[in-house]
Amino acid sequence: MSSTSNQQPHLQTAPPTSSEELGCRGASLQYTDGARVTYALRDITVRLPPGRFYGIMGPSGSGKSSLLYVLSGLKRPTAGTAYFGDVSYTEKSDAQVTDLRRRRFGFVFQQPFLLPYLTALENIVVAAPKQDREARERALARLEALGMAGLENKLPSQLSGGEKQRVSVVRAMMNDPDVIFADEPTAALDHANGHRVVDALAEWRGRGTVVVVTHDPEMLEDADEILLLRDGSLAEVRSQRPLRRDAAATPGEDSVFGGKGAVTASPRR
Amino acid sequence: MVFVIVLSVFLIASIATMVNSIDLTIRTIYAYTRHFTYAIPQRVSLRVPDDQVAVIREDPRVDRVMEGSIFFTNIKTVMGRFPFVVLGVSDENRAYLMERIGTSLVEGRMPAEGMPEAVLSQPIVENKKIKIGDVIAGPTDEGGISGSPIPVRCVGILKGPVWIAFTSKSFADATFITTPKTTIFTTKNPADLFAVNDDLMPTGRKGEGKLTPSKVNLLSYQNLVEELRDSLSSMYLIMTVVNLTVIFVISLMSGMLSNIYFTQRIAEFAVLAAIGYQRSKLFGRIFAETMLLTALGWVLGAVVTLVFLSYFKTAVFQPRGLFIDPADPFGYKFTLPIPFAITAFAVGTIAFRLARLDPVTIIERR
Repeated sequence: MSSTSNQQPHLQTAPPTSSEELGCRGASLQYTDGARVTYALRDITVRLPPGRFYGIMGPSGSGKSSLLYVLSGLKRPTAGTAYFGDVSYTEKSDAQVTDLRRRRFGFVFQQPFLLPYLTALENIVVAAPKQDREARERALARLEALGMAGLENKLPSQLSGGEKQRVSVVRAMMNDPDVIFADEPTAALDHANGHRVVDALAEWRGRGTVVVVTHDPEMLEDADEILLLRDGSLAEVRSQRPLRRDAAATPGEDSVFGGKGAVTASPRR
Repeated sequence: MVFVIVLSVFLIASIATMVNSIDLTIRTIYAYTRHFTYAIPQRVSLRVPDDQVAVIREDPRVDRVMEGSIFFTNIKTVMGRFPFVVLGVSDENRAYLMERIGTSLVEGRMPAEGMPEAVLSQPIVENKKIKIGDVIAGPTDEGGISGSPIPVRCVGILKGPVWIAFTSKSFADATFITTPKTTIFTTKNPADLFAVNDDLMPTGRKGEGKLTPSKVNLLSYQNLVEELRDSLSSMYLIMTVVNLTVIFVISLMSGMLSNIYFTQRIAEFAVLAAIGYQRSKLFGRIFAETMLLTALGWVLGAVVTLVFLSYFKTAVFQPRGLFIDPADPFGYKFTLPIPFAITAFAVGTIAFRLARLDPVTIIERR
């Protein structure tokens, strides 16, 4: 059921983005160290229609995390643009992009980064714009849904690694985000816990977009699309569950690759 | 950081309170001048000239004018031995003054006419560590500026809010013949005393009053306090400089501690910034935390100081008849810049780092 594509889209004729589409156009990310210039990303163009589970894979140093940071607005591309819906990050201030992250995105990192002095429940509620009773109840319900009932009052030091990461997943879901970004969320976990975390993220598909960076292909078995990066460039897009033409998430939009895939991309050779 | 603030508040408040205890000591010892004023003749005369006494009497607010003879008994103060006036007035005037200052005899008896006897307030008795029958002044007195050619004994103890000591006028007149006599006056309304002092204060002696400076001087409470503060001003200046230096050093230290504290929690700030906390909100959070910590440190420091000085007062000062007010606002006032300076340094340091915080760098590094 998978299709592979490496066609070069024509940006000027690309259809308009949907209000929750994520993407970047000609995005590059370079670091300068004296006279030496290093590219983390080179001229990447991707369009990720909403409501799907995207995996980003590639060898170490290929730019997987950099792409995630650019797509999430955590890094500004040094060339090109990144956007969510009709919001281009490069046209917005840091504070506006930060606000977008708060309202529309959720994040899961390699380490759970829980605040050590807060309980599991408080660590989740910290992501809510309004940390009130309703937020606590919502967080509690999410914890229970992920099979962590009874852990809400535990401090991070009392939780296992897998439990901590699942708490961070719930934190990412706290605001009902349109997109959840997960950067190597299973790297520090054993196999079983890794699957639990990815399953929880995959379940979010449909309610929102999920973008997961990982080294482990097994963790992306359930992904709809996989973007393969090499040396900062998009090398390949695998469509494991091509978006149907009638899919509600991106009405009227076809994939450039194989005519069915959801990802619209500009892979480089 | 709280501990550093506690220590600095304790250090500064204790020193300032102890230094200010000198002021308190003098004001307590001379508190009787809040109730009546001494007019002292200049050295050319052994008593206040009649024309000057007449000037005092002319003031309609003046109640009673009386002549007093004095000698001194030494008391211990934080600055060393200090002469305290033993006042000789007639029996009637003594009864009047005791009533005016709210003092009464609680033990022993009043001095007999012409006898080398005196009554002293309870705190003076404690200060001198004497009891009824003991000598309070004599030819073998150590230190001080006066004494008595013959031993004067304590025959009674007074109780009241003011330090005071009395002898009989006849004894003082007969014994201290070269000591100038003083003129004492009170006002009908005690609240008018300071205003009358101002009106009478001789010209050139910090006043433009009616008395002649070449003939008389006034030992008024307000003049006394002013001269005291003037003489202590250098000490206060030195103390202020030392305290400001201490506050500056502590603030720098706190800035460094805050830097370490921030570094320890940098992942926390990075992840909060990543998930969408505005830097201004993070800054506000740090500011609130720092304010809370410094406020807590200041309150704890103040409590520790209060407890320490209360113990110090009970164990060291009071048994010696010395003064210290553990709750003296003066000492604590000196520590008020501490929380503000520390907060400014700490928050400034953290704000600088927060402005340069790149969440991704921190998150990737971990």
